[in-house]
Amino acid sequence: MAEAVFMPRLGQSVESCIITEWGKKKGDTVNEGDVLFCYETDKASFEETAKTSGILLETFYKEGDEVPVLANVCVIGKAGESVDAFRPSAQASDASEPVPAAVLATTASPAETPSQVSSAKLKISPRARGIAQAKGISLQGIQGSGPNGRIIVRDIETALTSIPKTTHSAPPAPLSAATQAPVSPPPSFVVSNNDFVEAPLSSIRKLIAKSMHASLQNSAQLTHHTSADARKMLELRAICKARFEKGEIPNISLNDMVCYATVRALEKMPAINSHFLGDKIKTFKKVHLGIAVDTERGLMVPVIRNADDLKLKALAAQIKQLAESCRKGNIDPELLQSENASFTISNLGSYGVELFTPVINLPQIGILGVNTITYRPSDLGNGIIGFIPVIGLSLTYDHRALDGAPASAFLKEIRNQIENLSNDLI
Amino acid sequence: MPKSLFIDPKNARKKSDIKFGTIPVNHYSKTIEEEKTVYSKQDFLRIYRDMLIIREFETMLNLIKTAGEYQGVPYNHPGPAHLSIGQEASAVGMAYTLSVDDYIFGSHRSHGEILAKGLSAIHQLNDNDLMKIMKVHFEGETLQVVEKGFKGETKDLAIDFLLYGTLAEIFARKTGFNKGLGGSMHAFFTPFGVYPNNAIVGGSGDISVGAALFKKVNSKPGIVVANIGDASMACGPVWEGISFATMDQFRKLWDEPYRGGLPIIFNFMNNQYGMGGQTQGETMGYDILARVGAGVNPEMMHAERIDGYNPLAVIDAFRRKKKIIEDKKGPVLLDTLTYRFTGHSPSDASSYRSKEEIEAWEQQDSLLSYSADLIRSGIASADEVAAMKSMVVGIIVSALKKAIDDSVSPRMNLMAQPELIGDMMFSNQSIDKMEDRVPQTLLTMEENPRVQQLLKKERFGLDKEGKPISKLKTYQLKDGIFEAIIDRFYKDPTLVAYGEENRDWGGAFAVYRGLTEALPYNRLFNSPIAEGAIVGTAIGYGMAGGRVIAEIMYCDFLGRSGDEVFNQLPKWQSMSGNIIKMPVVIRVSVGSKYGAQHSQDWSALVAHIPGLKVVFPATPYDAKGLMNSALQGTDPVIFFESQRIYDVAELFHEGGVPEGYYEIPFGEPDIKRKGDDITILSIGANLYRAIEAADILKEKYGVSAEIIDARSLVPFNYDLVIESVKKTGRIVLTSDANTRGSFLKEMAHTISELAFDELDAPPVVVGSRNWIVPAHELENHFFPQAGWILDAIHQKIVPLQGYVPVTDFGDTIIKQRNRKGI
Repeated sequence: MAEAVFMPRLGQSVESCIITEWGKKKGDTVNEGDVLFCYETDKASFEETAKTSGILLETFYKEGDEVPVLANVCVIGKAGESVDAFRPSAQASDASEPVPAAVLATTASPAETPSQVSSAKLKISPRARGIAQAKGISLQGIQGSGPNGRIIVRDIETALTSIPKTTHSAPPAPLSAATQAPVSPPPSFVVSNNDFVEAPLSSIRKLIAKSMHASLQNSAQLTHHTSADARKMLELRAICKARFEKGEIPNISLNDMVCYATVRALEKMPAINSHFLGDKIKTFKKVHLGIAVDTERGLMVPVIRNADDLKLKALAAQIKQLAESCRKGNIDPELLQSENASFTISNLGSYGVELFTPVINLPQIGILGVNTITYRPSDLGNGIIGFIPVIGLSLTYDHRALDGAPASAFLKEIRNQIENLSNDLI
Repeated sequence: MPKSLFIDPKNARKKSDIKFGTIPVNHYSKTIEEEKTVYSKQDFLRIYRDMLIIREFETMLNLIKTAGEYQGVPYNHPGPAHLSIGQEASAVGMAYTLSVDDYIFGSHRSHGEILAKGLSAIHQLNDNDLMKIMKVHFEGETLQVVEKGFKGETKDLAIDFLLYGTLAEIFARKTGFNKGLGGSMHAFFTPFGVYPNNAIVGGSGDISVGAALFKKVNSKPGIVVANIGDASMACGPVWEGISFATMDQFRKLWDEPYRGGLPIIFNFMNNQYGMGGQTQGETMGYDILARVGAGVNPEMMHAERIDGYNPLAVIDAFRRKKKIIEDKKGPVLLDTLTYRFTGHSPSDASSYRSKEEIEAWEQQDSLLSYSADLIRSGIASADEVAAMKSMVVGIIVSALKKAIDDSVSPRMNLMAQPELIGDMMFSNQSIDKMEDRVPQTLLTMEENPRVQQLLKKERFGLDKEGKPISKLKTYQLKDGIFEAIIDRFYKDPTLVAYGEENRDWGGAFAVYRGLTEALPYNRLFNSPIAEGAIVGTAIGYGMAGGRVIAEIMYCDFLGRSGDEVFNQLPKWQSMSGNIIKMPVVIRVSVGSKYGAQHSQDWSALVAHIPGLKVVFPATPYDAKGLMNSALQGTDPVIFFESQRIYDVAELFHEGGVPEGYYEIPFGEPDIKRKGDDITILSIGANLYRAIEAADILKEKYGVSAEIIDARSLVPFNYDLVIESVKKTGRIVLTSDANTRGSFLKEMAHTISELAFDELDAPPVVVGSRNWIVPAHELENHFFPQAGWILDAIHQKIVPLQGYVPVTDFGDTIIKQRNRKGI
């Protein structure tokens, strides 16, 4: 009995995936566990392995095709078996413009057409859609003021002039706009000559571009810098390393310690553990810490939920696991939503960066940049000036949500936490 | 009505009787023996040869259609073949006396007439002229096929050319007389005096009259023969053509040398059947067709029935009738009695007539009786007759083989040249005058009272402060039309204008006021109230080489000229393979105030028909410029005018309407007011309501509307509109036409296609209701008002703050009305 392999649904907001590579060709013998095909969402890439063995009887999509989730991608079975029953219907295979249902469901329509509110297509004029796409405006939450609740140009213009409104009951503009990225065709060709190579953006690059640009455009962010005495932290690190080498504990990095210290600071000063939502501020009671992870595909920021519940060792373990998932590309897309994190940490210390201005992941209101350790003369007491290791800290915050004094107080608290890391933590 | 004609009640009311004269029926009965003094031996033989050629040509087609081969040559011809086997003597007799300058027009059953007239012309033309004609036709494309390998006399080559050109045309070959675009029912060859045959029964009934009018007005030699069937006597165009051709004014009001009857013979090729209907005894009541002439004019149209089975009888009749025409006593009605042996078409099983009847006529077959007479009178031996037959079979086989050979007779390659036929729809020429001679006028332009009056008018409608100037002082839209027309009357000697009340009255809406003084009758006259003939004769006039303006007083009367406007006027340029030009302007006045049958804008009907150019100016500047273009061109133009705005002054063109000549190219819309937020595209008089709506939008809602006046419907350049929509993202279209199927709908659809991504809402059409036009007092509920434009914008495009719509443009009402068919 032939079996179809369908495109998995990875996360609620994922409507379709792009097949990036076929591991098997039509007619190949497939063994359970073989990689059938690789695919990617706009956030991550994955491998689909065979659950059964047999012959790859048919493939319904080519590399580069955008496939709606749950649609049949290929069929494995015995030679000669019919695959017709598995062929995606014309409608299901028409992935040219998938409609993100999750987005639609929250798009308010006027009362005139109640039956269309939840299920029907988004009503928007072609021109309004074009402008929204060009400007990176989310359609989510925009009230259509045109006939029959159609979103018309003036609605987009209104949204443009008051971005926060669109985030009122919805994820922030840049990201949710990016969730519609499958609308644009996948990168399909590369132009190259002796002087340059011109390649279309990958989905993830587009996402980063949009969210970073939107962040700088739509918030009032600025950065304060300070540095913390790292002697205690380095001491702790030395103990951790020794014990790790003995196999007693997992590896705990300096970054893990900074994260731990920051979580403690956030607990103490929750004002910055918040989202700015235009007309209100949502302050989290728990700390959901976003960790910037550099991957081959680009920057990813997975979230550690309830980080304030974790001891240092557990925190370190989770950071490690998430970073690996990101690098492998099998991270749960839900964990990459910036609205799921309450604060983010980005560490460039390993690159020797001494100072930088990280960019906030809206709607969060702060991000901590962690720099390299340098040596700085310091009063060691008793009139002795000596060089001590210090770790640079760069806090970017959204001035719309927070003023300079509390932001500086928060930064000071992080420093405090770092300088007082206790060896008891392990 | 001219004042010179006094209707005296004493005479009009006097008791008297109408007396009819006698109409001869089959009076001629001479034999060859008796006519030897009139015809030479060669003449008698040529008559037989021509009949034989027609018989064999038609027999060949009949066999191709029914048996798939002729003389062992197989071919499949899926197209039409309405054959005239049995009617040969009528065709040859008709053509025998006609000169090359005489024109014949035909019907769907006219292969025989084409060949007869062609053979007659070939006999009359000298070798040099024949070669010239054949070489000039499509640069020798047809000639080269028959010339290859030909040895012999030029006249024989010309006969091959005639047979091949006709047959290739029937078989839709590019080398046919009309590039294969006319086909069996429309083949013709003007250099031999063969004008279009017509697939619409009676279609030639009024077109031929126009050609006769051209000959009269422009003092051209020759007469016109309309060869139409007996059944066409029932058709409107035939009656209207006869009415037009027999107008008293030709003999009573027109000045010398134009005075006198029209040079036309209505020759009814009476084969006694209209398809299967027997005209005598079943479908008509005239008993004998010639009787009809008695009721038309005191001359009874010199009507006569002649024996179409005796070629000598037909020749005799045409000799006598031609003399009547030359004496300017035409027109003439001939009832040429004949019979067809084959059916209406090869698919006709002749279920409507008995075998005995066909056999009885076959026994009197003109070819049998005439050849017997030839032998009897010693003109030819039986062997000579047989030899002539085999010669004819030989040339027909040769023509057939060439006409079906794809290598020498290809069809148009529309795969390689997909626009080939499209590019032939219009001639698109720019010609000052159709002939080069001094135009006949009665005054100099400067002496014309209306021209003098116009000198005093303000040519821009607003004063320096921007306030409107009194209508009496301004140059108006109707003046713009007049100025373009009178200018052309002084440029083009062939230009004529006619229609209802065009002379004396000056047109029902005073457009022609001032023309009566300037022009003799033969250039401006009143037609009968016969819109079919008004347009039909204009077509014939244009075909024959003249330029003409025909007027339809109300657009609502356009239906009366339906066949002429839909089937004839638009088709002949392309169906002729671009041999014919059609410089015909039909002025159509769109009414209002006069209710359901005098107020309709039917622009969509004509815009739908391929081959017509359609314009609808709304300002004096545009009216003059577009009329100049119409009169400079060579294509048929439907020129719409709105009675609601004949008196508007120029409000848009800076500096007013220029006094000199200028043209506005067809197809170019014009921005009448610039704006940024919404585009309003209007056709015709509704421009002014669009302006009204734009004013309200600006003043009350801060919405800036860009107003584009379409000016033309066909052709139409969408660039300007698309540019505007790119800017505004929104468009409303408005005109006086009722909405369903209006040209606005066509435009809205095209704009949606071309600018879909630019649109913030679908293009919205604000037309009239799909009703009868009610009385003037209720018209505001029928024709789109400024408020409707706002209503539509508010409900369908972008809600206006605080606006309360009056009329409903919602989806529900649209669906509801469509469901109800209103």
